[in-house]
Amino acid sequence: MIPSWQINRHALIWLLLAFVAVIFIHSAHLPHWIIVAALVAIICRVQRYRGAWPTPNRWIKLSLLALCLAGLFLEYGSHLIGLEPMVALLVSTYALKLLEMEHRRDALLVVFLAFFVAAVQALFDQSIGNAAYILGCFLLVTAALVGLHQGDTKIQPLRPLMKAAVLLLQAIPLMMLLFIIMPRLGSLWAVPIQSHSAKTGVTDTMTPGDFSRLGRSADLAFRVSFDGAIPRQHKLYWRGLVLSNFDGRQWSRSAPDDFNYGGFDKGGILQWFGRQTQPWDSLIERLGQPLHYSVVMEPSQQPWLYSLPTPLPKSTGIALTRDFRLLSSTSVTTKKQYEVDSWLDYKIAANDVSDYRRATELQIPRGYNPRTVELAQRWRRQNSNDKALVRKVLGLYNEKFVYTLQPPLLGKHSVDEFLFETQRGFCEHFSSSFVFFMRAAGVPARVVAGYQGGERHPDNYLLVRQYDAHAWAEVWLAGEGWVRVDPTAAVAPERIEANLEEALRDKEGFLADSPLSLMRFRHINWLNNIRLQLDSLNYSWARWVLGYDAIQENLLEKWLGSYSPLRIALALLIGGGGMLGLLALWQLRHRFSSKHDELDRAFLQLCKKLAKAGIPRISGEGPRAYAQRVAEQRPDLAREVKAINSVYEHMRYGNESQERLKVLKWAIRRVK
Amino acid sequence: MVERFGKFFRYHFSHWVYGRIPPSRSIALNNRSLFIFPSKPGFGFLLLVLICWLMATNYENNVVFAITCLLISVFVITILHSFSNLSGLKLSFVRATPAFAGEQLVVELVLHQEQSRYRESLSLSFLGEEAVATTLHDQEYIHVKVPLYAPRRGIYNPGRLTLESAYPLGLLRVWSKLDLDIGCLIYPQPIFTSSETVNAHSRGNGPLQMGDGSEDFVGLNNYQQGDSLKKIAWKQYAKEQGMYTKHYADYQDERIWLDWNDFPGLDRETRLSRLCGSLLQVSATDKAYGLRLPGIEILPDNNEEHRLKILRELALFEEPSRGDEEEQPFRKKPL
Repeated sequence: MIPSWQINRHALIWLLLAFVAVIFIHSAHLPHWIIVAALVAIICRVQRYRGAWPTPNRWIKLSLLALCLAGLFLEYGSHLIGLEPMVALLVSTYALKLLEMEHRRDALLVVFLAFFVAAVQALFDQSIGNAAYILGCFLLVTAALVGLHQGDTKIQPLRPLMKAAVLLLQAIPLMMLLFIIMPRLGSLWAVPIQSHSAKTGVTDTMTPGDFSRLGRSADLAFRVSFDGAIPRQHKLYWRGLVLSNFDGRQWSRSAPDDFNYGGFDKGGILQWFGRQTQPWDSLIERLGQPLHYSVVMEPSQQPWLYSLPTPLPKSTGIALTRDFRLLSSTSVTTKKQYEVDSWLDYKIAANDVSDYRRATELQIPRGYNPRTVELAQRWRRQNSNDKALVRKVLGLYNEKFVYTLQPPLLGKHSVDEFLFETQRGFCEHFSSSFVFFMRAAGVPARVVAGYQGGERHPDNYLLVRQYDAHAWAEVWLAGEGWVRVDPTAAVAPERIEANLEEALRDKEGFLADSPLSLMRFRHINWLNNIRLQLDSLNYSWARWVLGYDAIQENLLEKWLGSYSPLRIALALLIGGGGMLGLLALWQLRHRFSSKHDELDRAFLQLCKKLAKAGIPRISGEGPRAYAQRVAEQRPDLAREVKAINSVYEHMRYGNESQERLKVLKWAIRRVK
Repeated sequence: MVERFGKFFRYHFSHWVYGRIPPSRSIALNNRSLFIFPSKPGFGFLLLVLICWLMATNYENNVVFAITCLLISVFVITILHSFSNLSGLKLSFVRATPAFAGEQLVVELVLHQEQSRYRESLSLSFLGEEAVATTLHDQEYIHVKVPLYAPRRGIYNPGRLTLESAYPLGLLRVWSKLDLDIGCLIYPQPIFTSSETVNAHSRGNGPLQMGDGSEDFVGLNNYQQGDSLKKIAWKQYAKEQGMYTKHYADYQDERIWLDWNDFPGLDRETRLSRLCGSLLQVSATDKAYGLRLPGIEILPDNNEEHRLKILRELALFEEPSRGDEEEQPFRKKPL
């Protein structure tokens, strides 16, 4: 039974500060009127506290609630089930509750809502800065909670904040233990996700202009850590999508059930990590040692994962497809970490390609690009060797073509126009025209989309950005299987050997969409260092915190010997118990060294000294009687011992200050 | 059924508690005597943790997961803080101010500690009584007055004192139920009769009675320790002639007897209440008064000590709870 049910002044201050802080981070994805309503709630609250405005009555409260609900309905009417409407509803509840709260009970609800609304923010942004901000909000909310339970308001207003800080700091070791050890169950049911987030990065279709648009953005696509050295730049082809269908303008994936490789129509089209090997896996011949690496992908809202060919997934929830690329079980909506083994030397379907596959990879739309078809067939007749034909086309590119981020627009016969008229283009123009040419000449070919290269960070990892997006081609050559051919490399080898910036030096358009990106200031040394440091921090965060699920099992297996429920429970008990024990010792330290204990210790020291001098204390003898006896036997010590005894008695039974203890100890030390 | 189970549980729980914290005038709080359990808001907080965990799991969001871990961890750490807020505190019973039945009684306690620490938001209360809130700031001790309703005359033990605190976060309640072996003296509830009744029994025309009276001045006597201050001859004292007491004489029957037999036909408690009321009236005057109860007689006098003595007799006369106490010690009272 706590007598005061009122909300005291300090608690109110901390509650309002926490409210402002929590609403502020949400402002980016909240409708403006909710922010205004929140501000009004604060003003009302302050005015009520000052006694200027009365407590709102039931009708005012009800109409405010109705107003908020109507506002939410108007704002989100068509899609009420989603993350943003949910948060908007939560925030309005939070504001209304703050407005009407009167008793401590209401204030507690406000505090819990504040915790929750702050936590929800992490669904929108998981960056390290945002996490730190949420922690700051938690500090304020905890301070409010302490303030609510602090009896006396006359003492320093900062005390609740200090107490909250102590609590949170002490909680951090245990939090880390829980974070590391607690098993992740994975999604239990489908949840609404952010509705306004656009897909980013490479998509599963390619039209002229798609990749040059990505070239303007310095946003991060993914980061990669290799076990060992990072391979040479020209080997870093991050394969994500295979585009086989062409309708004259747009390249797209063949339908999922089209993966009818080599007659293996039995079995699934996906080979999940940890499940049995699919029969079509025998199509691939992996040569040499695999390269192990770990990728942390930024949210793309798409399921495609990127890897060096040819990959085998090493994390759960990831599958290998029949065209030997990686696929995630769900769209990548938050940072995702996965581990891969890749064999850079490989042969796929070296000896034969199925009729179905051949038909798909030779398909060209009728009535498009007649000049290209005509040229392709002429060159085919001149060169019976496929390899020679490939070389000849690449030679054509090398001779006359220009690599640019701002290619001219193309009409209906896009390949014809590009090859014979404009001759200026970006990777999508080169790959598209090359594959079309090859197909027209009867060589199975397809477009592959993904990223190429990446920036090497001094901390030995690779940063792949949106402007590294790239499209290239794969052709099927008898005896060699599917072989990568990059027509862009024929035009602008520096794009492949170095990076896009190198290839487009002094040309307009590069990073046009990222005017403030630190990437633009790479030539300023110290700024570049800061940029790299920041990225290193962000990457560690992404790898060890956000992507922890992917490495938890391996890590715990290494630390605990095995990843079993028993070991996990034991680790939690022993680790948590140890931490709590240490904290308890610290928290209750006063109990182990009270004034009396120290006093007794000092007195015992005196007894020991006197016992050595031949006058041991008889059991049951009181300090005064003892001092008396000592004084009789050793008159030379009489004065000192009596003085010490007098101070001791005063301290033991009176109300003496700690100062005297020092004097006493000093006096006892002096007794010889 | 549920109620019966509740009773059963409470009975055994209180026995267990009594075993752990035997009655004593001064009790130090430690892990033996302190109990800790989540409060209602504490369970609310755990619900919040559950919701956060569901959110973290379903969105596979490790920042929310970390937040969930932080909340759990804060909850666990708070156990230590709540406990150390009360641990090491000592409670001693100082006194209980006597009161009349039906009025408010004040029990005075001292909270002390060997270390100078902050002890926040302490709340002290007896079962069913209003709680008193207090805080120790760096002090070695403080006095606390806990009010309580005085139900009936006699020696009253208000039962166990509950000391509790929800500091720092209100998620956990730490409490102890202490029997400080408190005995409060409670006087009968006074019933005032009209002043004439009192006077009617006191006026008489008998011979002058030497001795301690209050009516007529007879002379001065040497001051003796214990003499009423009212009777000191201040005039003489001021003239530095020495310390004397003025000596008065009464007419024999002028002395007032508060007599059990004055209220025939009434039951014991009513008689005592009436006697108590008369006492309060008469003690406000200068008259000497005495008490006659079956088997007890207190000779008339008029001073504070005398008054308290009579009140005490009235409070304890055939005291109803005295007998009970021996059969049923304090510690078997309900919590």
